[in-house]
Amino acid sequence: MIAFENVTKIYNVKNVKKVILDDASYRFADRKNVALMGHNGAGKSTMMRMIAGIELPTSGRVRRTEKVSWPMGFARGFNGMMTGVENVRFVSRVYGCHTDTILEQVQEFAELGKSLALPIQTYSSGMKARLAFGLSLAISFECYLIDEITAVGDRRFKKKSETALKDKIKDARVVMISHSEKTIKDYCDCGVFAYGSKLYHYDDVNELLKDYRKFC
Amino acid sequence: MFYAIWLQIRVIAALTLRETRMTFGTSHSGYFWAVFQPIFSVSFLMTLFYLIGRQSPFGTSLALFFATAVLTLEFYNKLSVSLMRAFTSNKSLLSYPMIKEPDTLFARLSLIACTFLVINVIFYSGLLAVGLGQFPAHPERLIYAFLTTCLLGFGVGSINAILYQKNQAWQHIEKIFARPLFFLSGVFYIPSTMPPEAVAVLKWNPILHVVEWTREGFYSNYHSDVLNIGYPLGLGAALVIIALFAERITRKQRV
Repeated sequence: MIAFENVTKIYNVKNVKKVILDDASYRFADRKNVALMGHNGAGKSTMMRMIAGIELPTSGRVRRTEKVSWPMGFARGFNGMMTGVENVRFVSRVYGCHTDTILEQVQEFAELGKSLALPIQTYSSGMKARLAFGLSLAISFECYLIDEITAVGDRRFKKKSETALKDKIKDARVVMISHSEKTIKDYCDCGVFAYGSKLYHYDDVNELLKDYRKFC
Repeated sequence: MFYAIWLQIRVIAALTLRETRMTFGTSHSGYFWAVFQPIFSVSFLMTLFYLIGRQSPFGTSLALFFATAVLTLEFYNKLSVSLMRAFTSNKSLLSYPMIKEPDTLFARLSLIACTFLVINVIFYSGLLAVGLGQFPAHPERLIYAFLTTCLLGFGVGSINAILYQKNQAWQHIEKIFARPLFFLSGVFYIPSTMPPEAVAVLKWNPILHVVEWTREGFYSNYHSDVLNIGYPLGLGAALVIIALFAERITRKQRV
């Protein structure tokens, strides 16, 4: 279960006050693939970080009983001075996984070959994304948080990621941010629309997309 | 509950390994330098004083007398400075939900404490081997003093980390407090033999107390009038509690 209970999130940077959520309560439908949509700057990524538990709400609670991934799609958590192997080892240690098994799976998926033994700072952004994506697939989560991931890599890798992700969500689910209607239709069963510091639920993705077109 | 403790241990262990890798670089010689750099700098200082012809204020070995103070002080300084940057240099780690800021502090503490344990053992046995040292009269007191230094360094370092992240200018202000410690921590003198006016000031320096504690551990006949073990222990514990509370309260503003 993932649920927001009376969550308010306010940013106060350099005296500019920004209200992301204002006393919003929302329960993400269990075992369903949920689309999270809204205009740029509506706070979708912030909500995702709150779901992941990286960021705390200003007030209210975020409840989470399933094993949730970190927001995928950004390779933020990597250390540029450490090699790919070291970064993978670190993350699998933190998640309590067997490091060699994870390493093997990442190696196979990301197809980085010998580059895996080089520091991350020598990687191209595509390579970093491959590594990040491979790593998050190798560690089993019950809920994958995906922030615009499908735009990653070359055509062949995109296809491979798609297959792998679809395979994963047979027994896991996703909460997904995307501006691509096709991706949303492809993956999601229902959706939530962030608008004016509130959250609106849609049982039907097509309804969500209709409103998305109207307001964004 | 059990799971939470296991998770905590796992995270800190993984972070410590990562810190080790970051501090010492790729090569194995990194470990060598981390241990021998302080040893060299202390040795250099001692050689200098030998050449000037200074007599040891206590016992026969100037080197041992210095080491008891300088190694303790180095350990404390290393903790307080390196913990200061724990939050700012580990920002990217916070995208993994189970890693919280205090974990980065604990990881640095365990790495630095292990390093200084090795440094202490090597240095004191080195002194013993060349005939400038002696076996500690009360080894347990050395351990207590070491642990108390951990507590003080961790408390001050954590508070530094919180203040440094709020305002980077803190690193300059911190230096103003840290610099005089070299002269206030009994490196060159026996605090008990100082005039009462001086002692009245010196006794507020908690590092002086742990230095005195270390000396009581080494010498069988060293008796300190200044040492009050309740002071560094109480202050250290209070600082740690304040730091952890402050960290938790300010966490929301920090991300």
